[in-house]
Amino acid sequence: MFMFVLALLCGALIAYKLIFIQFISHQKYTSQAEKNRTQILYQTAPRGQILASGGEVLASNQAAFSLYYLPPFEMPDEKTLTEIADAVSKNTFKSQKDILQIINKSLKNGKAALLVDNLAPKNIFALAELQNFYPGLYLLEETKRYYPFGASAAHLLGYIGTMEKNTWKELSGELDYRLNSKIGKSGIEKRYEKELKGRDGGLFLEVNYKGRVTQIIKDNRWRKGADVYTTLLAPVQQAAEDAVRTSLTGRGAAVVLDVKTGAVLALASLPDWDPNIFTPYNTGKNNEDKIKISEYNLAVQGLFPPASTFKTITALAAYENGYLDLKHEDNCTGHIYLNGREFKCWKNHGPHIDFIKGMEQSCDTYFYNLGLKMGSYNIEKMQRKFHFGRKTGIDLPGEKSGNIYGPTKRANLKTYWFGGDTLNLSIGQGELLLTPIQMAVYAAALASKGKIWKPYYIEKVVSPSGKILEEGKSELVDQVKLKDGAFEIIHKALKSVVDNATGRGAKIKDIAVYGKTGTAQNPHGDDHGWFLAFAGEEDGEPEIAVSVLIQFGKGGGAQAAPAARKIIKAYFDLKHSKEEGNKNVQ
Amino acid sequence: MFNNSPKIKTRKLDWPLIYGLIGLCLIGFFTILSAVSGTKEMTSIMRTHIIALPIAVAAFVFGWLFNYQIYAEHYKKLYVFVIFLLVAVLAFGIVARGSHSWFRFGGFSFQPAELCRIALIVITAAFLAGRPRQIKNFKTLAIFSAFILPVFGLIMMQPDFSSIVVTAPALLILLFVAGVNVYYFVLIIAFGLMAGIFPIIWTYISLYPEILDNSIILSWVNSLSFDIIPCMIFSGVLVGLFVLAWFVLRYFRVLVPFSLTMVLAFSMVAGFFSGYFVNKHIKSYQRKRVEAFLAPSADPKGASYNVLQAQIAMGSGGVLGKGLFSGTQSRLGFVPERHTDFILAILGEENGLLGTLLVLSLYILILWRIIIIARNSSDLFGYLLCAGIFAIFFVYMAFNFGMLIGIVPVAGIPLPFISYGGSNLVSSMWALGLVEGVYFRRLSLI
Repeated sequence: MFMFVLALLCGALIAYKLIFIQFISHQKYTSQAEKNRTQILYQTAPRGQILASGGEVLASNQAAFSLYYLPPFEMPDEKTLTEIADAVSKNTFKSQKDILQIINKSLKNGKAALLVDNLAPKNIFALAELQNFYPGLYLLEETKRYYPFGASAAHLLGYIGTMEKNTWKELSGELDYRLNSKIGKSGIEKRYEKELKGRDGGLFLEVNYKGRVTQIIKDNRWRKGADVYTTLLAPVQQAAEDAVRTSLTGRGAAVVLDVKTGAVLALASLPDWDPNIFTPYNTGKNNEDKIKISEYNLAVQGLFPPASTFKTITALAAYENGYLDLKHEDNCTGHIYLNGREFKCWKNHGPHIDFIKGMEQSCDTYFYNLGLKMGSYNIEKMQRKFHFGRKTGIDLPGEKSGNIYGPTKRANLKTYWFGGDTLNLSIGQGELLLTPIQMAVYAAALASKGKIWKPYYIEKVVSPSGKILEEGKSELVDQVKLKDGAFEIIHKALKSVVDNATGRGAKIKDIAVYGKTGTAQNPHGDDHGWFLAFAGEEDGEPEIAVSVLIQFGKGGGAQAAPAARKIIKAYFDLKHSKEEGNKNVQ
Repeated sequence: MFNNSPKIKTRKLDWPLIYGLIGLCLIGFFTILSAVSGTKEMTSIMRTHIIALPIAVAAFVFGWLFNYQIYAEHYKKLYVFVIFLLVAVLAFGIVARGSHSWFRFGGFSFQPAELCRIALIVITAAFLAGRPRQIKNFKTLAIFSAFILPVFGLIMMQPDFSSIVVTAPALLILLFVAGVNVYYFVLIIAFGLMAGIFPIIWTYISLYPEILDNSIILSWVNSLSFDIIPCMIFSGVLVGLFVLAWFVLRYFRVLVPFSLTMVLAFSMVAGFFSGYFVNKHIKSYQRKRVEAFLAPSADPKGASYNVLQAQIAMGSGGVLGKGLFSGTQSRLGFVPERHTDFILAILGEENGLLGTLLVLSLYILILWRIIIIARNSSDLFGYLLCAGIFAIFFVYMAFNFGMLIGIVPVAGIPLPFISYGGSNLVSSMWALGLVEGVYFRRLSLI
């Protein structure tokens, strides 16, 4: 009986421990059992698309695969690990040593580890085979960024790349960023990172002790990011880029604005880059850090003297202050003298240069005289009216404001304003600087008779559920009020420039194109070619405003005007083909 | 006319024991099925188990019907048979899992050590029952040691450590129940303590070497493990202490024979050196088990992995369990040996606390019935036989449960009737058949 009491005591001790393990510590062990069998893989959500206003997708996603290692509970032997590393290495371009290192780390902390990401679908067959052969390997389908139009609108779209450690620390709090997450590094990709990102998914996998996946316990689907609709017209954007690219130097900028809204229809800036180079399929080489691109956005950051395009300001200032006599004719001898100094015209235009001729031929002598007549301060005032020297406010980083050239600044600096300065100012040379976007806004203001728009390029941001998160709106900054007839005179003159003279390169049949060339003197090299333009149907209002700058393009008439022509033509071709399509539908 | 004679129970079987047995076998069947379901070995294991069950029933019937008293006269032949089996397995057996302990006939294998565990109980019980008046004599113990040590030696040659772990305590309990002199027990326990405690201390020190800092005594104890001179000094001091104790006791008029004191002292010294020897020659996996027992969380993926995973399985089962065939720890292979030694973990995971407590209760029920049958046996041999079988099932229960709940090191001991294993099932059923045989013949006079 003593023995039985002993057995009972022993049984009681066992029962006590059993209750302790199975009842009291139940929660703790349950979570451990769950941890044992569960591996969580994060699945990157596809980024939202970026679209042009015609529905063309500028940035989308492609299928890309990630290969994970799920560490088994039973420590595999060295040989198996080496085999796995060899096999994976052979099919993924990653070195065997690196893979082994990741696997060993994963074995140590018991968490799934990413071996290789961004694998192209063509690599997948071999890897899927390996997955069946070696427990612990798991292929996960994800997506990667893809830009179907390549470099098109690169400066606006931006690009994505692996975030830096510091950025991760900042961001990991709000959104589900991981260390290897890619984020927008510039352009729309950066500006709308939050909206585009979406919410990453989580895959809860049940794995056995060998690390083989037995089933998917839970699949928290990712939520796609919001789509960003731009105001860009893809054909016009491409035409703008092509036009600049095929110009003499291939460098420069072109901006196209909708005259009625200020929406950016195209914004080209070259040199540019193909954002796809930041999101290639894995080829074993990580070049991301080595890629050098010029993020210098000429369209908003490049400052150039407006040159002869500025003659429109001089003309408006003269008209506004009553100094413009349309019937007055000047005699151009190729130069004028002021205080004993010679100021050249770019050509000897001969006698009978009236206002229209002066504009057509861009005769410096005519505008020298106009400037001398009205004085520099009037020209300065007109610059202010058209918001020269102020940022246009387009939502792009690093926009330059340019500056205003005139006697006020000199007075503030307590230096002198010379007569020669007035002459330089009259023809847009000297210290005055403008960006191509400012030129485009100015062109739109001329076209719309004084409406100064804040240019915008985001039409709307739409969440996957269809909710509009943000809407771009047309914003009128100012309405320039001038004497009656001021704009009409300019329109007449600029139309004539294109139809008959220096701007002929931009002439298009059945389209009313208004334009002014400019050749910005560049003391450091070849001159820059400008073309300011707006255009509309033959008998209609101007619809688009264009500014083209060809860097080192020597002349505005030779290089910039034909470029502008291509752009304007692309716009109207698109418009007409759409109307055509609509008619057919009707 | 008057039936005044007391009604004598003439049942031939103790049914509660049978119920307990059937209950355990049913639970065992389904738990094994669940443990192996989905594995490659499922069909072969279940086939073997289904074939083993009727053989086990036959063994039970044989144990029950074959008069156990015959063993009392022929235990020497049984002993020779045991020796023969153990030698044969060393000579003709196959090696499985590092151990030379299996016979293979056709598609079946048989582990003679399992049968020998029960046979040794029968032999010892018969031997002791044959010397009722000399049980307290030293000579009995000496003869017992003389015939038991070769058997243990043969088993160690396989090697089959777990058979020793099960049989040795069971035999000790049997000796104690039979009434062997307590002094000898003190000797054996002193020997065992000395042999066991030092390797454990040394292993512990090797796990946590930082405890050696600032401790002269521990450093010295540690030096015992590798240096023979401190060992000699230690032995001398031990013997000296006993001599001193003898004098002190005599001063207080507690008279203890000097010879006995010295035998105790030397048995402790011998125990110490056995421990020293074991420590030097223990296999690395065995040392890992001891380490895992001493520090279960030190290396969760190493040796203590088994116990930890088993406990996670049981703990995650909770009170009601996850349901048969639904244990994740089991199905996904995190619990190793899940259909044999660690089968309770599967039961605990899938049937919860209710399942484990039910098995525990059925074991207690069987142990209780064995005690009742022992007390009703008609002769000393029957009594001792039941006591020995009680002891062996007690040890099985204590070690298997104890291993899972972390109070005993992992020693590869199955839980009879629940764990998969044909040899164990057959011999365990034979043992309970013997008990029923004692019950059957409780009223016989011969």
